[in-house]
Amino acid sequence: MVSTAAPAPGNRKAGRARLGRIATITAAILVTLAFLYPVIFMISISFKLPKDIFTIPPKWISEITFDNYVSYFHQARILPRMINTIIVAMGAAIISMVAGSMAGYALSRMRMRGAGVMGGLILASRAVPPIALVVPMFLVARKLGLTDQYITVILAYVTFLVPYVVWLMRAFFKSLPKELEEAAMIDGCSRIGAFFRIIVPCSLTGMVSTLIFCIILAWEELLFALILTNDKAVTIPVAIAGIAADTEKGGLWGPLAAVGTLTVLPVVIFALAVQKYLIKGLADGATKG
Amino acid sequence: MSVSTRTHRAGAGKAPARGSGPRAARRFRLGEPGTAWLFMTPALVLLAGMLLYPIFYTLWVSFSDFDLALFEPVGWVGWKNYEMVLRDPGFLESLKVTGIYLVVALPLQMILGFAIAFLLNVEWRGRGVLRALFLIPMVVAPVVAGGVWRMLLDPLWGVVNYTLGLVGIGPVEWIGDPTLAMVSVILIDTWRWTPFVVLIAAAGIMALPGDVYEAAKSDGAGRWQTLWRITLPLLVPVMAAAFVVRWLGAVKMFDIALAATRGGPGNATNVVNLYIYEKGFRSLEFGSASSMATIVLIITVVLTYFLFSISRRLENRW
Repeated sequence: MVSTAAPAPGNRKAGRARLGRIATITAAILVTLAFLYPVIFMISISFKLPKDIFTIPPKWISEITFDNYVSYFHQARILPRMINTIIVAMGAAIISMVAGSMAGYALSRMRMRGAGVMGGLILASRAVPPIALVVPMFLVARKLGLTDQYITVILAYVTFLVPYVVWLMRAFFKSLPKELEEAAMIDGCSRIGAFFRIIVPCSLTGMVSTLIFCIILAWEELLFALILTNDKAVTIPVAIAGIAADTEKGGLWGPLAAVGTLTVLPVVIFALAVQKYLIKGLADGATKG
Repeated sequence: MSVSTRTHRAGAGKAPARGSGPRAARRFRLGEPGTAWLFMTPALVLLAGMLLYPIFYTLWVSFSDFDLALFEPVGWVGWKNYEMVLRDPGFLESLKVTGIYLVVALPLQMILGFAIAFLLNVEWRGRGVLRALFLIPMVVAPVVAGGVWRMLLDPLWGVVNYTLGLVGIGPVEWIGDPTLAMVSVILIDTWRWTPFVVLIAAAGIMALPGDVYEAAKSDGAGRWQTLWRITLPLLVPVMAAAFVVRWLGAVKMFDIALAATRGGPGNATNVVNLYIYEKGFRSLEFGSASSMATIVLIITVVLTYFLFSISRRLENRW
């Protein structure tokens, strides 16, 4: 009697725990889907004809068209703008990576007077709003005839990327064992040699995730690009802002979705491919520093 | 992480003294400051030229008359631009709008982010996949996010209003009504940025020490008690850090408002960055734009300093 009665409440308890688990997992999946929906919606709109976009109730399944990609691609010169964005994003990310990692290394490992103040100032510059920089940048670039050129946009992006890289890489270098370069230096390496031969190869994971963050941040930057470019060097976000402003008349949903998809897709694939580093870099960047 | 760092450092400090005496240690430190400054040079040159110089230039423009014919600042006018700006209702309103956005959006994103992180933390096979998918909204360019949400929230053809109509609500003027336009901007911003908080929170939750929970369980603590008394206090440093990073991004908010509402209707969603941009580059009032930018710069730096020191204190205490 006792032995048969005893497992019953336990079973019920276990059953309730399992039910709770299933409910939590279902909720997690639903929340994730809700967050993904706008992106799915954008991709689906990009393949629809206007008559299937502007209908009530919304059509879930419809004819597939590539019109939105083809027609606007040429008109808005999407390809050259894509190339501009790639050049600017890569250029700014690489320059910031080199300058920022070196400074981050000096701040984390070397003895120098004023290191604390210098580090503090560089980190504080993360708080400078870009809007406080745009007027002079525009005026000076105009005076020097440098508006609408890659180098101007790249240098403007360096202002927010370098402090970011210094912040992340300083934390990363701090977490490496000090014996690494001390051993190299006892063997006759100079500080600079130890940095490039020992520290950089050991920090590749941290550097790759930081580089990816930089590329993404530069890829989607709008304010500086809006002010410093007008034709040759226009980046994709500027082009999108133009199309988005046009939708006020209604009608450019398809092209906007198509260009949006083209902008987002490479970054999404990129981000998913390196998601492990990315998530780790994100967490480290926030909690160390 | 910090624990292992500390042990490494302690070990490193002892190593040279034990090995080849203090002289050897001093020898490879000689010339250290020089090399350090050499390492700092590229970053310092870039920041001096592209950050420090523009800030002083902005200050200069803010105190001078801007000659549109010469297209440069001429003549010192003292506080004139500042007096004008502080009497400009548009600027004061944009500060208020920015304040409302920050006060509503940031706590909302923090709470949602941590709540979702707890949901995602249940152990099952798909956990990694869901977490990876949460990266996606984060890498959607804000200007694209603004444009897409404008479609979703369209009063006539938007999916949101259609869905609300099914349960008898609406039609809602998401973009046309001043209050709802603000709600929309915050909604879009929250969609775009909550995943960032989720990922940081999830990493923080994963890093919690397991033995504390076993102790709590053997002491008979309930689930809510564990959450309030143990988990949340342990997560305070992560929360503080996530909040600071989120704050640094939010004070720069510009593109979502530009793409979704263009600051409208009226000035209802005109965040200060957008207002200054329009003043400077549409009305070509560079003097006023520069004084406004200077005011924003000072407010931002002061508030960031406060947040940083609070966050530092919280991180050290726990």
